[in-house]
Amino acid sequence: MTLERAAAPPGFRSRNLGDPRRHVDVVLAAAVAGVLVFGLVLVYSATRRFDDGNGYVLRQLFFAVAGVGAATVVSLVDYRKVADWWQALYAVGVVMLVGVLTPLGTVVNGTSGWYRLGPIALQPAEFAKLATILAIAAYLGSVDEVDLRRLAGALGLLGVPVVLTLLQPDLGSALVFIVLGMGMLVVAGVRMKHLGVLVTLGIVAILVILNSGALDDYQTERLTSFVSPDGQSYNVDQAQKAIGSGGLTGFGLTNGPQTRGGYVPEQQTDFIFTVVGEEFGFVGSSLLLVLLGVVVWRCWRAAQLAADQTGTLLCVGVTCMFLFHIFENIGMAIGIMPVTGIPLPFVSYGGSSLLASFVAVGLVQSVHMHRFS
Amino acid sequence: MNTSSTQVRLSGIGIVAVCLFAALFVRLWFLQGVDPQRFEAATESNRLRVIHEEGPRGRILDRNGRVLVDNRTTIVVALDREPLRRLEEDERAAVFVDLADTLTELGVPTKVSTVERRYGDVRYSPQEYVPVADEVPEDVELYLAERADRFPGVVVERRTVRSYPYGSLAAQFVGYVGEVNEDELASVEGEAVPRAQDGTPKEYQPGDSFGKGGIESSEEATLRAVPGRRTIEVNARGELLGELERTDARPGDDVWLSIDLDLQAHAERLLAAKIRSLRGREGGEGTLNAPQGSVVVIEPGTGQILAMASYPSYNPSILVNGISTDLWEQLNDPNNGRPLYNWALQGAYAPGSTFKPVTALAGWRAGVIGPGNEEYDDAGTYRLQNCEGAGCTFQNAGRKKLGTVDLARSLAVSSDTYYYRLAELMWLNRWQFGDHPIQDVATEFGLGAPTGIDLPGETSGRVPTPEQRRAAFESNPEVFLTGDWFTGDTVITSIGQGDVLVTPLQLAELYATIATGGVRYRPQVISQVTRPIDPAEPPGEPGNFEVVRTVTPEEVGRVEMDDDFYLRVLAGLIGVTQEEDGTASRSWSASPTAWTMGGKTGTAQVAGKADSALFAGWGPIAAGVDPEYVISVVIPEAGFGGDVAAPLAFRILAPASDGTLPTACTIAAAGQCREAESSAAQASLNDVGSGGPG
Repeated sequence: MTLERAAAPPGFRSRNLGDPRRHVDVVLAAAVAGVLVFGLVLVYSATRRFDDGNGYVLRQLFFAVAGVGAATVVSLVDYRKVADWWQALYAVGVVMLVGVLTPLGTVVNGTSGWYRLGPIALQPAEFAKLATILAIAAYLGSVDEVDLRRLAGALGLLGVPVVLTLLQPDLGSALVFIVLGMGMLVVAGVRMKHLGVLVTLGIVAILVILNSGALDDYQTERLTSFVSPDGQSYNVDQAQKAIGSGGLTGFGLTNGPQTRGGYVPEQQTDFIFTVVGEEFGFVGSSLLLVLLGVVVWRCWRAAQLAADQTGTLLCVGVTCMFLFHIFENIGMAIGIMPVTGIPLPFVSYGGSSLLASFVAVGLVQSVHMHRFS
Repeated sequence: MNTSSTQVRLSGIGIVAVCLFAALFVRLWFLQGVDPQRFEAATESNRLRVIHEEGPRGRILDRNGRVLVDNRTTIVVALDREPLRRLEEDERAAVFVDLADTLTELGVPTKVSTVERRYGDVRYSPQEYVPVADEVPEDVELYLAERADRFPGVVVERRTVRSYPYGSLAAQFVGYVGEVNEDELASVEGEAVPRAQDGTPKEYQPGDSFGKGGIESSEEATLRAVPGRRTIEVNARGELLGELERTDARPGDDVWLSIDLDLQAHAERLLAAKIRSLRGREGGEGTLNAPQGSVVVIEPGTGQILAMASYPSYNPSILVNGISTDLWEQLNDPNNGRPLYNWALQGAYAPGSTFKPVTALAGWRAGVIGPGNEEYDDAGTYRLQNCEGAGCTFQNAGRKKLGTVDLARSLAVSSDTYYYRLAELMWLNRWQFGDHPIQDVATEFGLGAPTGIDLPGETSGRVPTPEQRRAAFESNPEVFLTGDWFTGDTVITSIGQGDVLVTPLQLAELYATIATGGVRYRPQVISQVTRPIDPAEPPGEPGNFEVVRTVTPEEVGRVEMDDDFYLRVLAGLIGVTQEEDGTASRSWSASPTAWTMGGKTGTAQVAGKADSALFAGWGPIAAGVDPEYVISVVIPEAGFGGDVAAPLAFRILAPASDGTLPTACTIAAAGQCREAESSAAQASLNDVGSGGPG
């Protein structure tokens, strides 16, 4: 802030209360920075056993820097100007989701969800989430009341990426779309009656999908293993052992036996929370949860303070997205949610997720910063 | 511009968020704040492995400290099934194929099916390493160790197994080592666990080794090491991360035998050569099959076994990596002579004339014969009193007329009629002498019961009595012709025929007892137990061991013999070799020992088979001279005792009598021994065909 002020020309403009740069949400930025640093430490601990050169941490750091840059740029641009481009951005998101289903996409762990560009793997669903949030925010933000036609249109915008991610199949991302979409619909003013019908339809749909065999066995298994803890899978079992054995204060960085021994699969990505649980215990886990809570709170607050409905919905979308990512990712590690491969924002190793999360925060900052202009 | 309804709805989202975070906190507290120890225990079972290290078994040494059974290291490729279970099925199959191919390429032929079978082998506990290839060369160990990533769950282990520097020497009574079975495990559980001298338990785990047969079995508790324990931390792939705790194994104690390896080797070599030379020849009552044979040499006055040879033998080194069913059957096949059997104490044979001193002592004690009343005119046949018919006449072997015989001469020339008469007189006067005076003396000498030697598997032989026969008949009337005991039964018992059975060891003990004038010692094959001071030095090196336990001679009974009787028996046994018409005199002249040897030949008849050849005796033999070596030789289906067994006994003890015993050959020096072996074989061939039966 000091630097910006010094750089700004003297006089009238520096005292301009409408200057977006004066309205950066510092708390949000600080919380994100805190989570990011925490995440880098955890990735380091989770990957050092098969990576002496710290390649994972360095790659993550690279994306973090790129992410900070992207967030800065996005936050400085008025979100309304971005929202004007929603059709194009949404189209790009959908095309990327379609493209990943073609041979252009790479199959990893049975899911065709990545573009492989040399050493970098790009996960289009992460960016499609942002495009969808933007599209629905712009589409519903322009009207005061959501009638049935608007609702249908919004559901259409939401339905396309849900179906495309289910085709990968990436159940976790599909759920993220549904949750953030629902959140936005609620805030946008969809009538409770319509919402009730929607929820009922959703429940019926879930039951039909589970029983139709449209999901692969492993997916059904993951979902049901959460319901009946007896058949708990190896991953969940090891994850809970790691977190539980951390106790109040944990084993200390790089000292977690489960982490050192590599007993928790996918530990640097989906199960990253087990590292903080084991090595920093309840104290460390709580600190991370609080920091993540602050991020969610500030996004929610930005929705409250937003200058218009589009800004509110944009922030609600990001809030719901983060909230679901956090709840699902940590909930799965501690055994209260089914296992789906959803990253923990700013913590899990992975460039696409990190970059998308930063852009999302950039959008929220933009809403926050441009609320007076 | 947010409407108030939007604010309300936003609050709803906020409440949901708070609830979700609260849920996470509550669950986190439940996992981490409440009793986290329960998870610690769970993670320990994950990553900590307690590795049980058996440690080297004690060695087995001969009386002079030469190592008869040693240890060596073998490299074993094994599967650690925990990390393998976590692989997908196709990944695991790929590892197995890769492993089998790699091993085969490196010169250890291995089938994929074998690896797969081992992976599913339920006999091993889940934590245990399952061997897939043994005796693997060192470069394979290196190759696999360098490629741990490529072979998850494949471990290379060094195991200690037995080695036998002298090959098959003393195989049967040394025994062998195999994997402990469930019964054996149960036998060493809890209080029954063997302990080291300081009380440390020598605990077992499935897969450990256990002595099977012989010294390995009877001295299991001594030979077994105090196992070591290592607690190590491993990662998810089973790779070692570090060692948390370690207690080294302590080697088992060394067991010294009373055996003299040189004498043992010499006896085995001559016995084998003799049997091979006999086989296929025609004898009086049929083909000489000589399916087995044994020699026992005892030190009288201590009961220590100096040599114990049993033919056929086997090389125990074929058993160190486990025994296949085929191999097991081969080693127990009667058509192969059951190489695993120690015939010296597991074989029971009619003693024939070697039994005569027993009958003589019974007659002497009864007063049927005695000073001035011991002569009898041997007419070649003997007819029972008050008896008519063909079954009433008993004869000498070959109906040979031996003329006037006294007690000494009855032994020297082996008169049967002399003993028939003794037996009948005692039976007719059984109101005075009891039903079984001969059997009583036999029992006093230890016949009909295990000698109590410190080796497992001993049979008791048999001393038949009228009561015993009646009991056997009553319990099983279909099997036996009669429950009655007739005069003829006593008569043939008197010359060691009928139902009398002795083991070669009992026979040796009988003559050892006579040699010492009636003091009976328990036969012993272990002399002491020691612990090496410097394990790197030879365990038998003087000054390099401390004695843990010494086995002292154990007197188990005394047989009363007066001097008059003793001197007559002595004269008779000397006469067997030294008198012109002694039953072993020609064999003696052909291969004499440096000092005089005496003994008794035996040619026992077995229905439908060639005669068993026996000899038992000792040297040096003379009144007032301490006997040093008592020997018994028993070869069934082999012909006359004087032709076959006696010369073998003389040849075995000849080099012991003049100090020219050849040094036993290790496998490493086998080349130098071929000559000695072939000359022994040649000598045995020349021995056959001298005297007659008796």
